[in-house]
Amino acid sequence: MSVITQRFFIVIGCFIAAITGGLLLEMLLSFQAGWPFGHTQTGHIVGWAGLAVILMVFVYSAKKRFGRKAGWPKGWFWVHKIAGVLGPVLILIHAGPHFHALIPILTLLTMVIVVISGVIGVAVHRKAVVLLKDTHSELLSEGLSKDDVEDRLHDLASGEEAFRVWQIIHTPMVMLFLALVIAHILGALYYGGV
Amino acid sequence: MRFLPLPSGSVRFIIIATVALIAWLVWGTFNHPEALWAPGNLSRFHTDITDCSDCHQPFRGPTANKCIACHDNKHFAAQSRPAVAKFHQQSISEGKACSDCHTEHRGALAQITVGAMVNPHGEFVFRATGTNSCSACHDLSAGVASQTNLLDNATVKHLMEEGEGAHRPGKIANCLRCHAGGRKDVEEEEDDD
Repeated sequence: MSVITQRFFIVIGCFIAAITGGLLLEMLLSFQAGWPFGHTQTGHIVGWAGLAVILMVFVYSAKKRFGRKAGWPKGWFWVHKIAGVLGPVLILIHAGPHFHALIPILTLLTMVIVVISGVIGVAVHRKAVVLLKDTHSELLSEGLSKDDVEDRLHDLASGEEAFRVWQIIHTPMVMLFLALVIAHILGALYYGGV
Repeated sequence: MRFLPLPSGSVRFIIIATVALIAWLVWGTFNHPEALWAPGNLSRFHTDITDCSDCHQPFRGPTANKCIACHDNKHFAAQSRPAVAKFHQQSISEGKACSDCHTEHRGALAQITVGAMVNPHGEFVFRATGTNSCSACHDLSAGVASQTNLLDNATVKHLMEEGEGAHRPGKIANCLRCHAGGRKDVEEEEDDD
């Protein structure tokens, strides 16, 4: 089995484990509460926590957009990836498999699409870094440190064509997800009270 | 880090999709608010309610003021037994929140009193008797522990007469054991003789 195939199965396995774990925990908490956990006060808090973690995902995007000279691109990329999985798991515990109103259903659906496309994006980005082998050697011969080379490669991989094509799908879905999240929160506060 | 702006086609798609989403939300909120926003179906007690604002105050949720617009002192005096009426009239005068004990949007057959017993008869008993509340047959004034205290009213008498002994206390819990498939009629068992 090749390294890429191994990684593919590890990612799929973690993905299924995260979804199953989140749903099982929600079922347990709903059983204890006597009705859907997301409708309880603790369920609301978990929803807000999930949103806070998800918002951390955008630090990487914001730094790319506004802080070009700022460092630690790989670090923020890690935060982007970890928060991009942890936040949705918290939202999954908040939501559970209880589908009734259209707005929360669509919000959850777009979140799942964003997470799946995000995981695909990580693979595309990784592939782009691997393909920049020649550049890697050139940068090392220029006398850059190993960390600096890694940062530059990370940056260059973001400009690769395959990654750009993926970005055209991922970004609009993120925007749609954010619009639905805002609608869901406003609706919950309007009907449920602040 | 390099920032590479999205192509104009993608930006246009995002703007159009967001505007369409907002337009749909506004249209849906006015025409089908329950489909867009309700976390569950209303209970059988509130099926006549058609407007969310009958119970919900903007950004304050379901408030007691909204509840007592229908469930006022007169309502309890006319429709509830003295102990129940007194309890609720006192709660109203003290300004207690109805949501401390009651809930909604848990489905048509759900209990809306927190801590209330689960209906052991199932939905069938309401359809068969034409009632919509446990208190139509049971005296619950002493709490849920008193759930087997049957009232001496027309509904209970009619049930006892109809059941030929099968509806006596202790035997009626699982209606569907005899009324298979939720049918009112009961198939006669064939004699072995």
